[in-house]
Amino acid sequence: MAHSKQYQHRTSISFFTVLIVFILMTGGVQAGIEPSKLICRVETDRAILPAGDSQNVVLKITLDAPPSPAHIKRPLVNLALVLDQSGSMNGNKIQQAKAAAIEALTRLGLQDIFSVVVYDTNVHTIVPAQRAGNIQSIINTIQQIRAGGSTALFGGVSQGASEIRKNLESNYIHRIILLSDGLANVGPRMPADLGRLGAALIKENISVTTVGVGTGYNEDLMTRLAQKSDGNTYFVESGFDLPRIFAAELGDVLNVVAKKVKVTITLSDNVEAINIIGREGRIRENQIEFYMNQLYGDQEKYALVEVNIPKSTSGSRIKIAQVDVTYENPFSRKSEKSTGISYARFSSDSGKVARSTNIEVIREYQLNLNALAQEKAIELSDKGKKKEAVRELKQSAARLKQVGSRYNDKELLKEADELEVQADTIEDRGMSPKSRKVLRTESFQMKNQQLSQ
Amino acid sequence: MTSKRSIIIFWALFLVPTLIISGIAFRLLSHEQERINRSAIQALSERAETISETIHITVEAVQENLTQSLLDIDQDNLKKILLAWEETNPLVRNVFIYQKNRELEYPVRGMESTFEERRFIARYDSLFSGRMTFDFNEDLSKDESKIKGVTESSRQKLVALSRVVQKAPVSEQKAFPFTESEHLFIEKSGWIPWFSENRLHILGWVQKIGNGPVYGIELELMALLSRLVVDFPELPEKEVALLLMDGNGYFMHQSGKMTVDPKEKPVAVVSISNLLPHWQIGVFIDKKGFGSTRGFLYISVILLGVFIIAIVSGGVLLTRLALQNMKDARQKTSFVSSVSHELKTPLTSIRMYAELLLSKRIKDTNKTQTYLSVIVSESERLTRLINNVLAFGKLEQGKKTYHLTPFEMDRLLEQMIQAHSIRIENQGIEIISQIEEGDYKVKTDRDAIEQVILNLVDNALKYADKGKFIKFVLEKDDSFILLKICDDGPGIPKAQQEMIFEKFHRVDNSLTTKQPGSGLGLSIARQILKDLEGDLFFDPMPGHGSCFTARIKHHESD
Repeated sequence: MAHSKQYQHRTSISFFTVLIVFILMTGGVQAGIEPSKLICRVETDRAILPAGDSQNVVLKITLDAPPSPAHIKRPLVNLALVLDQSGSMNGNKIQQAKAAAIEALTRLGLQDIFSVVVYDTNVHTIVPAQRAGNIQSIINTIQQIRAGGSTALFGGVSQGASEIRKNLESNYIHRIILLSDGLANVGPRMPADLGRLGAALIKENISVTTVGVGTGYNEDLMTRLAQKSDGNTYFVESGFDLPRIFAAELGDVLNVVAKKVKVTITLSDNVEAINIIGREGRIRENQIEFYMNQLYGDQEKYALVEVNIPKSTSGSRIKIAQVDVTYENPFSRKSEKSTGISYARFSSDSGKVARSTNIEVIREYQLNLNALAQEKAIELSDKGKKKEAVRELKQSAARLKQVGSRYNDKELLKEADELEVQADTIEDRGMSPKSRKVLRTESFQMKNQQLSQ
Repeated sequence: MTSKRSIIIFWALFLVPTLIISGIAFRLLSHEQERINRSAIQALSERAETISETIHITVEAVQENLTQSLLDIDQDNLKKILLAWEETNPLVRNVFIYQKNRELEYPVRGMESTFEERRFIARYDSLFSGRMTFDFNEDLSKDESKIKGVTESSRQKLVALSRVVQKAPVSEQKAFPFTESEHLFIEKSGWIPWFSENRLHILGWVQKIGNGPVYGIELELMALLSRLVVDFPELPEKEVALLLMDGNGYFMHQSGKMTVDPKEKPVAVVSISNLLPHWQIGVFIDKKGFGSTRGFLYISVILLGVFIIAIVSGGVLLTRLALQNMKDARQKTSFVSSVSHELKTPLTSIRMYAELLLSKRIKDTNKTQTYLSVIVSESERLTRLINNVLAFGKLEQGKKTYHLTPFEMDRLLEQMIQAHSIRIENQGIEIISQIEEGDYKVKTDRDAIEQVILNLVDNALKYADKGKFIKFVLEKDDSFILLKICDDGPGIPKAQQEMIFEKFHRVDNSLTTKQPGSGLGLSIARQILKDLEGDLFFDPMPGHGSCFTARIKHHESD
């Protein structure tokens, strides 16, 4: 009997130990499940502003995405590849596109959803949305793609979206990768139309990443579609870069740490919104809003806003704006929130003001202005005003150089040099399709802080 | 000759109706082809109509639902709900709230609105500034059936009918609770297809209270189109296409693989709906290679061609056979007459000399000797002739048997020259014999070879009787012994050189030919040699004269 009691005692002790260990373990796991939150920083171009009259200030709202947690299952991906198989793709391009599609497929996990739509004159779903498990049969299907026909780009994207929609309700990262090398000649073909399609798709949390191959495609259309749907855009000159681009893009998609990101900037009284630089947003009374579909791990995305600050006295301190970021955490599937507040101090000491300069804000501001200048140059060149376009680029380069040397910033100086070379090339040989695409893509990537290039 | 003509006439009688029938058949077929083309266009047009009806019904349902949702919005939170809607609904491009005689409530004019909103305000400025009322197109939307006009199919009418019935009670029902203040509380709504910068935009509006705000949405046409084109049916045919075209004639979507030039005109057009004015579905058919149905014509033409070829070649064959039969019959007749003639000549001589000898009036023994030798030689000639006819009969029936015995060819030739030397020399022809040194052993039918040599010698005596010599050459090549019998007679015309080996053939085939003959000799000789694994050729001699070469298989001694 005594023996049995002792036994009971021992079991209860071991039970307790197990329980404690279990609690510790779950606690540990829970600490891992909770990834670090998205950080929102609000900075001005100068930490200390000159006191006196009302003035314009550049606000940089930075979203620092946390790294993707290594030991938690990443959110699942719902990927649709929309591939151009028109006649112009024949040869190396279609071969590389197939290789790129297979590259993308092999990077997906068994639970991810994968579909392939090809388009020429008509649109065909060759791999309907399915789990990326049956890799060999999907690869066989992809290998059978043959090039020929026109370019029904709109129909292709529509069909891709329809494949995505089959799993729209589930908690996936939705993404279409559109590949094209030519002008859309069946279906809507205006950049504005495709932009509207992108704007409609982002409402369903579908982003379209566009990959242009060669120099024959319409970069305006492709960048507009990507921009309006918050996807990425790429320009590759030859097919050989395609597998790399697809891999990079998928690296982004598999690394999403925040979904449905909404940034609301609430300005304090008397602070007035002047302009949004680079990004599309809306100003509503004292609020400025931005929307981003996805943020990738370790990515830094920002928005630049120019505001007007009222009269001030030296030594005073005011709150300029409060920034609220709401987003969906794809790991916990919960809505999360992050806040940043910007204050301004004023001083009449100009040296103090100068020393407080935030070079990062200045740099991004200048680079964004440069992106806008690049777009303007494209516009001017489209109207046949080559000289004005070159002048626009050179002015922008001079400004970058000036600011860069004032703050001794190497990045700005380097960008200025590159831009000058580009301007000279355009001056000598005119705006070639290639340089137009380079300008358009660079300006897009700058404005949207595209991670992989 | 008459029968030959009658055969040709018969053939012509046969051919002419065939050609007439095939001509008619071809015409019928091409009519049939046209009919098939027409019915293909008809079928495609019907498909296009079905599609356009589906689009119409879909767009209409979308618009009705949106209208209903707009009407259901809580009026106190109108702006908030509308904005949330704009943010989340892919079908909503812009929203607006407008109060008559007041500034546009949303979106706000000026810098506070986005670029898109500013464009939106500019687009509908005549509405938002009050220059036009929202219900300006009300008559238009109510009187749908009239606008669609004559081209409307019965099905479309049915759909239109069902729409009217559907709508009527709704408005009655809505109006009913507010009878007292009908003017204040009547719900108004409408959809406006709006053309701005040559592009279609669609605005939906509602007014819930008589003097209340007009609010609504601008439809995201690209989102709508994107959803519509996904359900566009696929056409597997390569030579046809259905194209959804917008008001400017741009191709919005294509089903069917045909490559359509943007300038090409459709063969038929179906307008979609007054909800999407000027939008059409164009039917395109590649007339050059309308393969699937043109195939019918091709196959029919091929069949017809085979039919005609069969008839014509059948006719040719029959005619040839008939002509051949006629020729054979003529040759047989000529054969019988010449054989009879051949038989009769020696018989006459034999009989005459035999009767002379029988009368015993001939006392001269020399003469008697001569007559007897004539009888003997004539009987020999008769025997040879009969042997030939017998051989011919056997060869023809395939009953000829050969007895193979080994012997030496040179010996046989010498014996035969010896035996016939008197006959030959009597005609004043010199015998030249060239037998090369060597071994001429053969194992073959001796009698048959004798008959061949005899026929060749007879041939030379008969046709080269004016010649000076007859030459026998015996030589060898690798596996054959070559026996040549040549003369320096007139030779054989080139055109006849192959035909001489045909049975019954004679170079001059008339009965009046001075030379008698059956026309069998060479034919038999060649047939025998072929049966014994050899052959017989003709070689013209240089200058004139002919030379026959018999090839006899050499037999190595074992």
